[in-house]
Amino acid sequence: MQEERSKAITSLLNGAITAVKNTIPIQHEISKPQMSESFLKLHFGVLIGITGDLKGKLILSGESAVFSTIGESMFGMPVQDDMLASFSGELGNILAGGISTTIIQSGIKTDITSPTIIEGSTTISGYEKAIHLPVIFNSTGILNIFLLVD
Amino acid sequence: MAKVLITDDAAFMRMQLKDIVTKLGHEVVGEAENGRIAIEQAKELQPDLITMDITMPELNGVEATREIKKLLPGVKIIMCSAMGQQGMVVDAIQAGANDFVVKPFNLDRIKESFAKVLS
Repeated sequence: MQEERSKAITSLLNGAITAVKNTIPIQHEISKPQMSESFLKLHFGVLIGITGDLKGKLILSGESAVFSTIGESMFGMPVQDDMLASFSGELGNILAGGISTTIIQSGIKTDITSPTIIEGSTTISGYEKAIHLPVIFNSTGILNIFLLVD
Repeated sequence: MAKVLITDDAAFMRMQLKDIVTKLGHEVVGEAENGRIAIEQAKELQPDLITMDITMPELNGVEATREIKKLLPGVKIIMCSAMGQQGMVVDAIQAGANDFVVKPFNLDRIKESFAKVLS
């Protein structure tokens, strides 16, 4: 049971790496995954729920400039102001969907919920495990991906 | 040139789709941010084609598609989904959707989908 769960979490992590590579067309480096603390403090980001065989949450966080740069690289137009929150939600949707599509190849069926935008100082807690996957964009900054497993 | 109604709860996606649809030479006659507004606008604006997001507040794209197809059987509906929503895409096709495209949008894929459903 524990072994299956570990395999599922590994698949989730690999799915996240694949989704980032397939979605974000800017030169980036993905750092080694790290276990995170029992709570997360965020200022800007997006949260997507994962349901099904593996339950948890995907959180993307970072400076708004990082999201803006990613948006411009993906859609060829500057993403600012009101459109930034809207784009960030869609980025979360696209990455979570990509993860879901990748991990189904390992037999793990999941669904994703609508994105929730996080703006302002926020603390998130109440999960069993949090894996932190920093994606470093040399030109802009870091997109922090957190996979929270319930 | 087709009259197009764009439905998506994300303003950014509506803006991007509007840009693509206009570049393809079609007319965007309305924008809706949820399924309920899409039904109202479809009745009022009588579009030829509706792009429909799946996951939206108030009334989702699958339910809206079902209702719109009862009211306007001839209207073409293209579902717009994120990857990972395959189950809901199947529900949408059963509800009467004519095609689907996966986000993030790509001009060529939208062009191909429009050509397919409008032919």
